[in-house]
Amino acid sequence: MAESEEKQPTKTTPPPRRRRNLKIDHDVEVPEPGYAWMPRTLEWGVRVKPGAKGMTMQGLNVGIYGEIPDRWDEQTRMPRGAYPMAGIPPIGFALREKREVWADNAADLYEEAIQRRWIPASDIPWNTLEPLPDDVEAAMCQLCTELSQAANVEFETIGYWLQHMSYGYHEVKLFLASNMFDAGRHHEAFRKRALANGGGLGIESKGEINRMILESKGGWSETSLLLHLLRGLFIQTIYRYGERFAHNPAEKVMFARALEDKARHTAYGLQHLRYAVTHKQDKALVFQQLLNIGERVFARELQEPVVLEPLAVIFGGGIEGAKAGMREVHHMMGDFVKSYLASTDWIGIHRGRAFPKGLSRYLEA
Amino acid sequence: MPVFPSVEWFDAVSRSFNSDEANRTAGGGIADADVGIIFEDQVFLLNFAGYECEKASVIQRSDLENTDFYLEMHPDDWIEMLINIQQNGTADMDYTLNTLDLDSEDGLAKSATGDQYRLDKFFRFNQTMQYFFDASSNVETEFDREITPA
Amino acid sequence: MSTQQQSLEAVKDYANDYDLKLDWIDTRGEWGIKATPDARKGLTLEDIQTGSYGEVPDHTDNMTGRLRGAAQREGAYRTGGYTVRTKSDIWLTNAAMLYEEALQRQWSSATDIPWDTIKPLPDDVERAQCQLATFLTEVEFVAADVPGKWVAATSPDYFEPRMFLITQIMDESRHLDVFRKRAFANGGGLMQRPDVTTSGVVGSIDLSKDFTEMSSRLHISGEGAVLTIFRMGELMAYNEAEKYMYRLCGQDESRHVAFGVMHMRYLAETEPERKAEVHAYLDEGERALVAGNQNPAARDTAQSEALAVLLGGGQKHYDEGYKKLLAIRKRQSREYIQRIKSAGFGERFENGRANPELMEYAKA
Repeated sequence: MAESEEKQPTKTTPPPRRRRNLKIDHDVEVPEPGYAWMPRTLEWGVRVKPGAKGMTMQGLNVGIYGEIPDRWDEQTRMPRGAYPMAGIPPIGFALREKREVWADNAADLYEEAIQRRWIPASDIPWNTLEPLPDDVEAAMCQLCTELSQAANVEFETIGYWLQHMSYGYHEVKLFLASNMFDAGRHHEAFRKRALANGGGLGIESKGEINRMILESKGGWSETSLLLHLLRGLFIQTIYRYGERFAHNPAEKVMFARALEDKARHTAYGLQHLRYAVTHKQDKALVFQQLLNIGERVFARELQEPVVLEPLAVIFGGGIEGAKAGMREVHHMMGDFVKSYLASTDWIGIHRGRAFPKGLSRYLEA
Repeated sequence: MPVFPSVEWFDAVSRSFNSDEANRTAGGGIADADVGIIFEDQVFLLNFAGYECEKASVIQRSDLENTDFYLEMHPDDWIEMLINIQQNGTADMDYTLNTLDLDSEDGLAKSATGDQYRLDKFFRFNQTMQYFFDASSNVETEFDREITPA
Repeated sequence: MSTQQQSLEAVKDYANDYDLKLDWIDTRGEWGIKATPDARKGLTLEDIQTGSYGEVPDHTDNMTGRLRGAAQREGAYRTGGYTVRTKSDIWLTNAAMLYEEALQRQWSSATDIPWDTIKPLPDDVERAQCQLATFLTEVEFVAADVPGKWVAATSPDYFEPRMFLITQIMDESRHLDVFRKRAFANGGGLMQRPDVTTSGVVGSIDLSKDFTEMSSRLHISGEGAVLTIFRMGELMAYNEAEKYMYRLCGQDESRHVAFGVMHMRYLAETEPERKAEVHAYLDEGERALVAGNQNPAARDTAQSEALAVLLGGGQKHYDEGYKKLLAIRKRQSREYIQRIKSAGFGERFENGRANPELMEYAKA
């Protein structure tokens, strides 16, 4: 008999048969229920059925539950549409107006984020990494260091703001939670790439753009402008080119999945910013002011070597090819600037002559 | 046809469980856990690692101290659960592991060391454990006795 | 001159207008790292905790948001107003593992719950289910708002626990979402919002000044109590959809509880001088547990009545349901006690410090 089939010699008493009920104390005194809550609802009889995409958050917005007010003065975590109760102490939410946070696509983007989730540990084919020339590996590791740090700023920024958003706009809170989750994944994936192929982490960012985003405390829209539009579109462009110039399936998958996530973030940002501009008279002017400053900060930091130079080395296949690689970087920057200006136009912020030379020169390529 | 319980039976269920990628989604996933199974006087160890149940073996009761948790029910309850799974393809509402745990006086999932953190793996990996036993619906099973319904 | 040097010169000439340097190539963290993916789990955070990248400082002055192990830059801007800069304030030994587990076990309320198994229920049962769902859809996101704040406040040198907290935020989003969906799936709607205070007052989760304080209230007390409710969900479920919903939420919640237990264990082992302070947080947490602020099974709340209706199978069997609820409280209390012992603070149950009402619930 195989060792694994030897029976145990010890006799033990088995536990009693299961009962369908918990062990309960029948002698306990049961207080008379009040049932005051039973009739308390603002709308009853709601029956939402799953659609083609399942049971979605957007699908729940029926009847009064779909009435999204322009201002939500409730200062607690009361769910939109719940029966209110008096006397609950306020928590205090700074962002109470729809135009401060809203995007029509938030609920759908949240569900999309869940459907398109991925796992860096196991969805990236890490075993396809093969040694790269030292200079290319160094460049890739520096790029990953930069991207990982940018992702860190993204989730720190959203983490700060999430608590300030009132519960009248839970769709936005849910989407931004998924945005944080995505950014965490990018932070992880790029760190893993830097440590998986004989390299290591590079040098940290100078941090001027990071600081600009993190120190934006005047309003969420203003922060989203910098985070999702200015920096977000730039990162999205890098992801596109990262996928195009990937050296192996691992990098290809990594950039491709990150790109999907980033496109979602940008989609929210654009819709929100447009909503903000169309619902507050001077918001476009505010955004213009901020971009006047932000774009210059951005252009200045681009002169730091750590982002564009590694890309030139990667695109060129090494330092030897970095000259050609730099032309590709120019092309990439041109793509970014075009999509950025198209986005600002779409939002309703026309950059025109205010757009700094440090960025407009990329249109001349 | 493997007899429940036996290493042969657990191995057959493992093969079915391990080969179905659907067990990795919808709340399933990687589970690193050493799980004891007690059926009367027989004690088994299931080693879960990654996405799979890697090994089933016979152990001594004293070895349960090395497990994260163990599952123990009256033998007739074990068999009743497995018959329910065979009839329905998955455990129905009255036979999920969590329901059985709640219906049992001292619980189905127990710890030999009183370490609640390790015992909580029964909840952290609950869907995986459910998928595992549900996979027994693909294994023709022989039972060594007739049972009396509870 | 080597080919590489020649090319470098060529690039420098070309890039003269752009003032490019290429000096970053020689300025970097520890080099030559080749983390190997595990055959079963892929490349995990634990796998990259290698060499200096795995060295977690006991205290950090990293205020620039620099990645742990990256090369420091002179003149980098201080971007982080981090208040959590001491390892013992947030650390736990298995944060990386819990993070990866969370990523593995994500699920979709839209498509993974078999919503079509929900059939019309008697009105009193539907109302009770919706009342409980209303409570849960409100309180769950406390555990997203608050960790979000702490993620922003924690140095990147402790990125493993931060990453886990981010997964918690995602989990709680899903819980807010799934319970709201349940309330609208079967001819009901949202009911009365919780009539107990969940936030905004002294002793609440969101006013915690210290991470461990917050974690003891959130992960140990609050989520521990809700975990028991989710587990009990299989007794209150009337269809496969509800069973799944509670089971998957329970999985998530138990992960959050595990985080809290392991952090407290780490603190107990590394900073025993803080144990008295943590006991004070646990005193408060136990009071809240029995008073009903975060515990729907606690006495005399709309939620506890709703639970009794669900457990009994309707208003007609309220008494039976109420008695089951007491059995649930007993389980809650026992599991809480075991977790606190696991965390290294079990002496409070020996020396009389623990809440007497809690101990009463836990008695056989």
